[in-house]
Amino acid sequence: MAPKKKEEPKPAAAPAAPQPPEPERPKTPVFDPATVTLEFTPEQIEDFKDSFQLFDTTPTNEMKITYAQCGDLIRALGQNPTNTEIMNVLGKPKAEDMHTKMLDFDQFLPMHQHICKAKDCGTYEDFVEGLRVFDKEGNGTVMGAELRHVLATLGEKMREDEVDQLMQNQEDANGCINYEAFVKYIMAS
Amino acid sequence: MGCGMGKSEPLLKKCHQAISAALLIQRWYRQHVARLEMRRRCTWNIFQSIEYAGEQDQIKLYNFFGFLMDHFTPASSERNLISHIFRKNEICRDTEWERYFCYKSIEVTKIYTGPHLTFPMMFCGVSKLVEAFKHKEQLHARYVLQLLGETWRLLRTFPNISHVIACHTKQITICGDLHGHLEDLLLIFYKNGLPSSDKPYVFNGDFVDRGKNSLEILLILFGFLLVYPNDVHLNRGNHEDHIVNLRYGFTKEVLGKYRVHGKKILKLLQMIFSWLPLATVIDNKVLIVHGGISDTTDLDKIACVDRQKYASALRPPKMKVHGCMTKMNENREREACGQWKAGVDSAPDHWHDLPRRSLNNTPVCSKLDLSVDEKLNRRCRLSGFDQARCELKNSDSYLESKTTETDLDEWKQIVDMLWSDPMPQNGCIPNEVRGGGCYWGPDVTEEVLRRNNLQLLIRSHECKQDGYEFCHNRRVITIFSASNYYEVGSNRGAFIRMGPDLVPHFIQYQASTTCRELTLRQSVGWTERSALQALRKQLFVHRSDLISAFQEFDPNNKGMISVTHWASTTERVLNLGLPWRVLRPQLVSSTQHGMMDYQQWIKELSITEPKLEISDNNILDTMYKNHSNLETIFRIIDTDHSGLISFKEFHQTWELLRSHLKTEISAKAIADLAQSIDFNKDGSIDINEFLEAFRLVDISAHN
Repeated sequence: MAPKKKEEPKPAAAPAAPQPPEPERPKTPVFDPATVTLEFTPEQIEDFKDSFQLFDTTPTNEMKITYAQCGDLIRALGQNPTNTEIMNVLGKPKAEDMHTKMLDFDQFLPMHQHICKAKDCGTYEDFVEGLRVFDKEGNGTVMGAELRHVLATLGEKMREDEVDQLMQNQEDANGCINYEAFVKYIMAS
Repeated sequence: MGCGMGKSEPLLKKCHQAISAALLIQRWYRQHVARLEMRRRCTWNIFQSIEYAGEQDQIKLYNFFGFLMDHFTPASSERNLISHIFRKNEICRDTEWERYFCYKSIEVTKIYTGPHLTFPMMFCGVSKLVEAFKHKEQLHARYVLQLLGETWRLLRTFPNISHVIACHTKQITICGDLHGHLEDLLLIFYKNGLPSSDKPYVFNGDFVDRGKNSLEILLILFGFLLVYPNDVHLNRGNHEDHIVNLRYGFTKEVLGKYRVHGKKILKLLQMIFSWLPLATVIDNKVLIVHGGISDTTDLDKIACVDRQKYASALRPPKMKVHGCMTKMNENREREACGQWKAGVDSAPDHWHDLPRRSLNNTPVCSKLDLSVDEKLNRRCRLSGFDQARCELKNSDSYLESKTTETDLDEWKQIVDMLWSDPMPQNGCIPNEVRGGGCYWGPDVTEEVLRRNNLQLLIRSHECKQDGYEFCHNRRVITIFSASNYYEVGSNRGAFIRMGPDLVPHFIQYQASTTCRELTLRQSVGWTERSALQALRKQLFVHRSDLISAFQEFDPNNKGMISVTHWASTTERVLNLGLPWRVLRPQLVSSTQHGMMDYQQWIKELSITEPKLEISDNNILDTMYKNHSNLETIFRIIDTDHSGLISFKEFHQTWELLRSHLKTEISAKAIADLAQSIDFNKDGSIDINEFLEAFRLVDISAHN
C-alpha cells in the first residue's frame, strides 16, 4: 500500500498508509554499477579478494557468491549498511533469487564501493543518543525487555534468536542494561 | 506501533528517534555477526585444510607404496617391508581363524577390576559395559576378543544394505560420525535412551580415530548389535579401514591399551570392518550412507558386491588381462581410478586451479641419486616396463588372480559411498581435496534418488557447525555427532529422530559443560586461538622453505617483503588454500607501508624445538613436516606391533620416505639420527618416544 519510492521526506505527511517516517531518506533510484568509480587501492582490492574467496563455497573456486551473502561480506569488510541499502545495490532482487543468483568479484566491487561512499555509519555518540530515548529514568540504563521489543518490532526487525544473541549476558539482575557499556561492546567487534 | 497520524510533534520526534536508534543497533549487530562469521569461517577453513591435507598426504604415501609394490622384485627387502599391508584378507578357513582368535586361553585373573561379560550377550551385559566405560574402566582382553568374535560371526550374516521398516509405533534414531568421542555417545544415550527393540538406531560410520575412546565406542555399539541385531544398524565409514587407522590414532589407541593382545584385536577388527554393511535404507525411501553418492551409484550393484574383499578402500584392485599388464590396460586403469594415482600422471591443468588443495603431481621417479629410485630405474631400464609386471605376476602371491573391470567398478561404487562430498553446483567431479570419491551436485542427487525410488539421502563424513546441515533442496542431510570436533566449542553434535512419516527431527548438543556457557563470540575466539596455534605449527615446520621462497622477492637481502608477496608465497609453500590476507592481522604483528620483516616473523611464531643434539636443520624440518607420515610408516613396519623397530628397519624406512619426498639427506646423517634417538641404547628405536621427541610445542600457549 505504501509507495515504493519516497521522493522527499514528509515528516507529518498524510499519505494513505499510516507508515512511520523512515529516518534515512536517500533518493533511491535504481542502482547502476556503471556510475560508480572505484577508488580502492590495489592492496585493498587484494584484501577484498581474499575475503570474497572465503565466502565462495563453489568447490571449483569460481570466485562467486550468492546474493544472500553479499550483505554479510560487505559487513565483514567493515561497513554497516542497512538491509535496504544492500538490496538497493543488488538491484532489488526477488526473495527467491537471493540464494540462487550469484555474483562475481567484478560485480561485487562497485556495490561495495557504493556502500563505502554512503554517508554516516554512526558514531559512538549517535548510538548513545539513540539509546537514551529509552532511558526513562535518565540514569544511564534501559530496560532489557523494552530494548528487545524495539529491536524486534521497529526498523529492520531482528528475529528473536538474533535479539537473544545480542543481549546475551548484557542484562543485570534487574533486567537493565547500561547502554554506554552496551554500545562499547557492540562496536568492539 | 504507537506512531500514527495526527500526533503531536514531540511524540513523533521520539518515535523518529526510537526507529533511528533501532536501525543503528540493528546495523551494528548485523555487522558484528558478519565479522564473527568471517572469523569463524576462517578458523573452520584452517582446521579443515590441515585435516584434509593430512588425508591427501596419507593417500599419496599409500600410492607411493603401491607404486613400489608394482615395480620391485619380490625379493627386495624394501618390498617385504611393506608388502604385508597389501596382502588381502588371507583366505583361511574359518576354523583357522577361530583358532587364531581364540580367547579361551586368556585368563582373567583376580586383579582385574573391570566388568565381566557373559555370552550370549544380553541387555544387562551391555548396559554394564556402558556403565563401566563411563567410569573409565577397561575391558579385559579376553572379553574384548570374545565380543569381537561374536560380532564378526554376526556381521557375516548381514547383507551389504540393511533394510529397515519404520513401524508405526517406533521412532528411529540416526547418528553420524563419533570419532572416538565417548562423551558424545553417552550424551546421546542420555538424551535419547539406550538402543532396544523399541528404540532402533542407525550409526553412520566413522566410529573410530581422532578421539581417545574409539575402542570403547566400538565395543558398546557391537554389544548392542549383538543384543538387538534387528534394531541396531551400523554403516561402514571411511575410517573403518586399518590403513587409515594407522595414521589417525586408532591403531595407536588399541596397542596402547592392550599391549599383549593388541595385535590380535587389531586383526580381528580389520576383518570386522570389512564385513560392516555399506548402507541402510528405511522404508525403501531413505538412504543412509557415510560419505555419499556419485553419478554412477547403483544400489543393485552395491547389494551384490563381495564387500569383505575390500579391507581397505584406499587401493584399487589391480586389473589384468591375459596374465600380463599391457600399456592399454594401464591407461584404462588410470582412467577408472584417476583420482588415486597421485604420483604417476600429471593432472589436467584445471585441477591445479582448484581451491585450497591441489595434488602435488610430480612423478615419482624423477631423481636418480636415491637408492630406491636407482633400483626402480635400473629395473625398468633392464627389463622393460611390461615385462617387469609379467614377472611380478608369475612369481608372487600378492598379485591376485585375474581381476576384471567389474572389480574396478565395484571398488569405485564402494569408495564413492564412503568418501564423497556434496557440492552446490550440478555435475560430478573427482574429490581432489580428500583424494578419493567425488563431489556430487543436486542434479545427481535428484537422478540417483529418482532412479532408486528414494526421497531422502542422509550422510555424514563432514563436520558441521550446528551438527547437521541440509543441502540440495533439502534432499540431502549431513549429520555429524562428534561435538567439539576440532576444538572445544568448535561445533555442536546432532542426531536425527524419524518416525514413520519419515520427517527428520534434529536434536543438538555439545559435550562439554564449559563451552555451553560461552557466548558465541567467546567460543569463536577460543576455537580461533586453537586454529591459529595449529597454523603456526604448520608455518614453523615449513620455515626453511618459506625463507628461501621469500628471499626470491628480496634480492638485496633487506629482510623485508611486501604483504602481497608474503601472502602468495606462503600459499605456494603451504598449499592449504587459506585466505592469508584475511589472516594477516592475526599472524603478523606489524607491517610498515605494506612491507614486513619475514625473518622476525618466523622467530615470532614462538614454537620451540625439542632439545635433540641434531645440528642438521634439514633433517629436523623433514621430521616435523612428516610427523604423520613417519608414524604411519613405522606402524606399518612394526609388524609384530611391539612398538619397536630396529636400526636396519629405521634406515630402510628412511630410504623409502626419502624417495617419496625427494629430500637430500645423507646416509651418515640418518645413522647419526638413529643413534641419537636410540634413547635406551639397546639397538632399537621406540616409535612413541621417537614421535614424541619430534612433537612441536607452541610456547605462546603458555602466555
